[in-house]
Amino acid sequence: MKKGQRPPLGAFWAAFAAALACAAWPLLAPAPKTEFALAEAARLPVLEGGRVKPLDSFARNALLLIRGTQSLPDGRREMSATEWLLEAMFKPEAADTKKIFVIDDPDVLGLLGLQQSERRFAYWQLEGKRDEVGQQAQRAEKVESSRRSRFQNAVISLSRRLDLYEQVKNTIMVSGSSDPVQELAMFSEALPGALRAVHSPKAASVQDRAAMKALAELLERYRFLARAAAFRPLAPREGEPDDAWKSIGEAILQPNGRPPHPGLEAYAVMARAFRLGDASAFSSAVNEHLGWLASERPADARKARQEVLFNTAQPFISGMALYVAALLAVFAWWGTRRPWVAGAANGLFAGAVVVHTVGLVARVWLQGRPPVTNLYSSAVFVGWVAALLGLFAERIHRKGFAVAGGALLGFCTLLIAQHLSASGDTMEMMRAVLDSNFWLGTHVVTVTIGYGSTFLAGALGITWVLRRHFVSDPDPETTKALVSLAYGIVAFALLFSFIGTTLGGIWADQSWGRFWGWDPKENGALLIVLWNAFILHARFAGYARERGVMLMTVVGNIVTSLSWFGVNMLGIGLHSYGFMDKAFYWLLAFGVSQLLLVWLGFLPPRFWAVETD
Amino acid sequence: MRPNDVPLRRVTDFLSSMKLTLACLGLLMILVLACTLLQVPLGTHIAVERTIRSFLVWYTPDWSPVRLPVFPGGGLVGGVLLLNLLFAQFLKLERSRRKAGLWLAHLGLALLFIGEFSTALFQVESQMPVEVGQTKNYSEDTRQMELAVVDVTDPGKDTVTSIPESFLRPGAVIETPSLPFKLAVKRWYDNSDLGMRKPTDPPSEATAGVGPNLSISEAPIVTSDDAQNAAAALIEPVSGRDGLGTYWVSNALGAPQGFVREGRTWRLVLRPRRYYLPFSVTLKEFKHDIYPGTDIPKNFSSLVRLNDPSAGEDRDALIYMNHPLRYGGKTFYQASFGQNDQLSVFQVVRNPGWLIPYLSCILVALGLLLHFGTKLAVSLRKAA
Repeated sequence: MKKGQRPPLGAFWAAFAAALACAAWPLLAPAPKTEFALAEAARLPVLEGGRVKPLDSFARNALLLIRGTQSLPDGRREMSATEWLLEAMFKPEAADTKKIFVIDDPDVLGLLGLQQSERRFAYWQLEGKRDEVGQQAQRAEKVESSRRSRFQNAVISLSRRLDLYEQVKNTIMVSGSSDPVQELAMFSEALPGALRAVHSPKAASVQDRAAMKALAELLERYRFLARAAAFRPLAPREGEPDDAWKSIGEAILQPNGRPPHPGLEAYAVMARAFRLGDASAFSSAVNEHLGWLASERPADARKARQEVLFNTAQPFISGMALYVAALLAVFAWWGTRRPWVAGAANGLFAGAVVVHTVGLVARVWLQGRPPVTNLYSSAVFVGWVAALLGLFAERIHRKGFAVAGGALLGFCTLLIAQHLSASGDTMEMMRAVLDSNFWLGTHVVTVTIGYGSTFLAGALGITWVLRRHFVSDPDPETTKALVSLAYGIVAFALLFSFIGTTLGGIWADQSWGRFWGWDPKENGALLIVLWNAFILHARFAGYARERGVMLMTVVGNIVTSLSWFGVNMLGIGLHSYGFMDKAFYWLLAFGVSQLLLVWLGFLPPRFWAVETD
Repeated sequence: MRPNDVPLRRVTDFLSSMKLTLACLGLLMILVLACTLLQVPLGTHIAVERTIRSFLVWYTPDWSPVRLPVFPGGGLVGGVLLLNLLFAQFLKLERSRRKAGLWLAHLGLALLFIGEFSTALFQVESQMPVEVGQTKNYSEDTRQMELAVVDVTDPGKDTVTSIPESFLRPGAVIETPSLPFKLAVKRWYDNSDLGMRKPTDPPSEATAGVGPNLSISEAPIVTSDDAQNAAAALIEPVSGRDGLGTYWVSNALGAPQGFVREGRTWRLVLRPRRYYLPFSVTLKEFKHDIYPGTDIPKNFSSLVRLNDPSAGEDRDALIYMNHPLRYGGKTFYQASFGQNDQLSVFQVVRNPGWLIPYLSCILVALGLLLHFGTKLAVSLRKAA
C-alpha cells in the first residue's frame, strides 16, 4: 500500500461497530435467571475502605483477594461474587464447603497437613488448623517484610484471607445464628427492661432482671458484630453526617434514642429468607430496602447502581481482547497487504481505544478523581496514552506501526493492571498527602503520559528490530516513516516527562519543603527525562542514526519500567505506595528481553536467513 | 595557524561540544541510578551527600588505607553540563526565531541547575516539634549537635552559649568571651551505646553529673532516615587550673547536669542544633482525620498562632497537607505528629532560591512546546 492511501472506510466502520458490540455484550446480554434477587442485592450500597460502594464491588474484591477470581464455579453453573458473599454471610455452613482458598506454597500445605493434589481448599478443611495459621502469621509479621521467607509470606497471606472470610461471615449476623429476625425482636423487646435494670438495679423488677440476663448473651454477640464486621451496611439517616455509616452491631448497641434503623430489619429478613430458601421474601426485603435508600440516600444509591454497571461491563477486559484482535489484524494486513484488512485493523483498534476510554472515564466519574491515583490506575492510563497516541500517529504515515505498537502496549498494560487489581479495591481512598485533585490531575497525569509515550517509542523500536530480521525486502520509505515517527514520539515523551517531573518537584516543594529530594521515584522520572534528552541530542549531533535511535528507544523501555515499577520495589522513599515483590522477576525478565532485542538489532539484518541460503 | 589550533579555541570547542553533553548526560544517569540504589543501605541523606552533592564520589576498599575517587560526583558533572550548555548555547546555536524554543528551554534548564546548586549551598532544613498549647521560637536540626552552656541563675532569663558539633573534637579546649571558664573536650562519639554502669564495668571517666553512673561506649553511626544517633561527649569545664568536674553529655540524656561557680548556676546540654527565629509559633490545635472504618489518614492540620512583635504580626495560620506557611524567609510544613495527636512536627525550611525552579520549569515547558510544536506542524503539513 502506498503512503497516504486511505484504507476503505466500509471495512473500518464495520470492524469498529463489531468491536463496540462485543464490548457492550456483557451489558446487553440477558442476565442469567436466578431464583433470588441477586442483581438487586448487588446494588445495595455499603461503606468499606472509607468509601461507599455497591455490595457487588465488595464481593468481587473480597473473592479476588481470597480466590483470585471474580466468580466461582458451583457445580455446572458459575456463581457470581455477590451470590457467594450472600451465602458466606447468611448461610456460612454452605459457604464453608466452597473451595475458595488458593494455597500454592508446599510448606503451608505441610503445616495444614494437606496433600498437594489440589490448589484450592474449603474453609472446613482449614478450620482445624486455624489457630496454628494465625500464630505462624503473627510470628512472620514480626520479621521485616523484605526479609520474610516464601513460607512466611504465604502464611501471612493465608491468614489475612481467612481473617477477611471470617469477618464477612460475621458482618450481618453472628456466624451460625439460626434466626436473626427473631433475635433482633427479642433484643428490642428485652432492651427497655434491661436498661432499667442496669441504671437502677435496686428498683428493678424481677422481669427486668430476667431481661437483663437474657440480653447479656445477645449483647456479647452484638458487640462481637460491631468489632468483626467486614463492612458497614447501614446508611446514615436524616440528620446524621454523610460518613456516619454503621455496622449492624454498632446500630443495635447505640440506638441514640432513635427508632431502630430500617436496615436492621431489612438485613435480618434477607438473612432469614436466604437461609430458608424463600426467594420472594428475600426479593421483597431487598427491594424495600433499596426503595428506602433511593429516597433517603439518592446519591449513594445512584453511585452504587452505576458502579455495578461498570463492574458488569468490565471494559478493560473487553479492551484487552480487542487490542489482541487489532494486533492480529495488523499482522494479517502486513501478510496479505490488502487494503480492507488495513481498514478492519484500524477499526478494531479504534474500537478498542474507545472502550478503553469509556472505562477510564467511568472510573474518573465514579471515583471523582483524576485518572491516576495508584499503581493500578497508572497502568490503565499508560496503556491508554500509548494507544491514543498510536491512533493519532497512525494518521501521519498509515503503515500500521503505530497501531501495532499502541495495541501491544494497550494489551500489556491492561494485563498488568489486571494483575495489580488482585491486591484489593482499585478505587481506594487517597492518603492525606496525595489527597489533592489538582496535583494528581497535573503532575501525576503528565508524568504518566511521559511513561506511556516512552513505551510507545520503545514499541516502535521493537517493531524496527523485528522488521529488520523478518521482512525480506524492507522498503526504505517505510523504514524512514517508522524512524521519524519514533523520533516524534521521543520528543513528545521528553516534553511530558519533563513537565511532569518538574510539576512533581513543585508539588514536593508545596508539601515537603523541597523542590527536589532525590527520592527514588523522583530519580526514576529524572532518568526518563535524561534518557529521552540523550536520544534527541545523540540524533541531533549525528552520533546516532536510524539504528542508534531505534535501539535507544528499546533501552527506553527498560528505563521506564525501572522508574514505573522498579523504584517501588526498593521499599524506601516517599513514593513507596505500591510495594510489590513478586513482580520483581517479571521486571527482570522484561529487562533481559529488551536487552536481547537490542543485541538482535546489532546483528546484521536477516543474519539467520543468510546462513540457511 | 588555523583558528582551530588556538589553545583557547580548543578549550571552547571542547566545552561546547555535543560529545561532552552526551557524556555528561550518561554520567548523570549513572549517578542518579547509584544514588537511588545506595539509598537502601545508606538512607537518603547520606546517599545524596556522597553521590550528588559532592564533586567526586569516594570509595574506600577494604585493602586500601586511603579513600579513592572512583567517579565524578553530581557537583562536577552538573557544573560541567552547565558550562557545556552555556558555551554551546552562546557559541553554536543560531539566534533565529526557528530556534527560539530551544533557547528558552536551554536557558530554563541552566536556571534549574543554578537553582539546585543554590539549594545545595543555602538550603537549611530543620524540624520543629510543638505540643498543643506550647510556644516555640526555634527549630532543630537533628543531624547536627551543639553543646549548649546555659547560665540559668536568673529564673526569668537563660543565657545560652552554644558550641557547634564541629568544635567538639577530642583534645580541643574551647575558649569564648561569653564564658568565664574553658571547656576541655576529652572524648567525642558520633554515636554511642548508653547504659547504666554495672558493678563489673570499668570505672566511668566522668566525675560529676549523671556520668559516674553510666557506661558509655562508641557505636557505629546509623544513617537510615528514621534513625537517630546518640552522640556523646566527655567535657571538663576548666577555670584557671581548677577542673570543675568531668561530665558525660549526650542528646540521649534527659537529666539536667551542671555546676555552680562564683554564684552563677550553669547547665551543660548536648542537644540538636537550634535555629532561633525572630518570632514564635504556638500550636493551638492539631487535627488528624481518618476515613471512616479505616486507618487511612485523610488529613493532618495544625492551627498555629504566629506572633512577631517586631513586625507587628499576631495572627492564626493553618498549616496542612500541601499548604505550608511561608513566613520570614522560612517555610513551615506539616511533617509528622505524635504523642496521641498532642504533638505536631513541622519541617522548617529556609531556601532563598525556592522560586528559581518554578521560573525555570515555566521557561523549559514553554520552550519545548514551542520547539516541538513547530516541528510537528511542519511534519503534519508535509504528510498532508
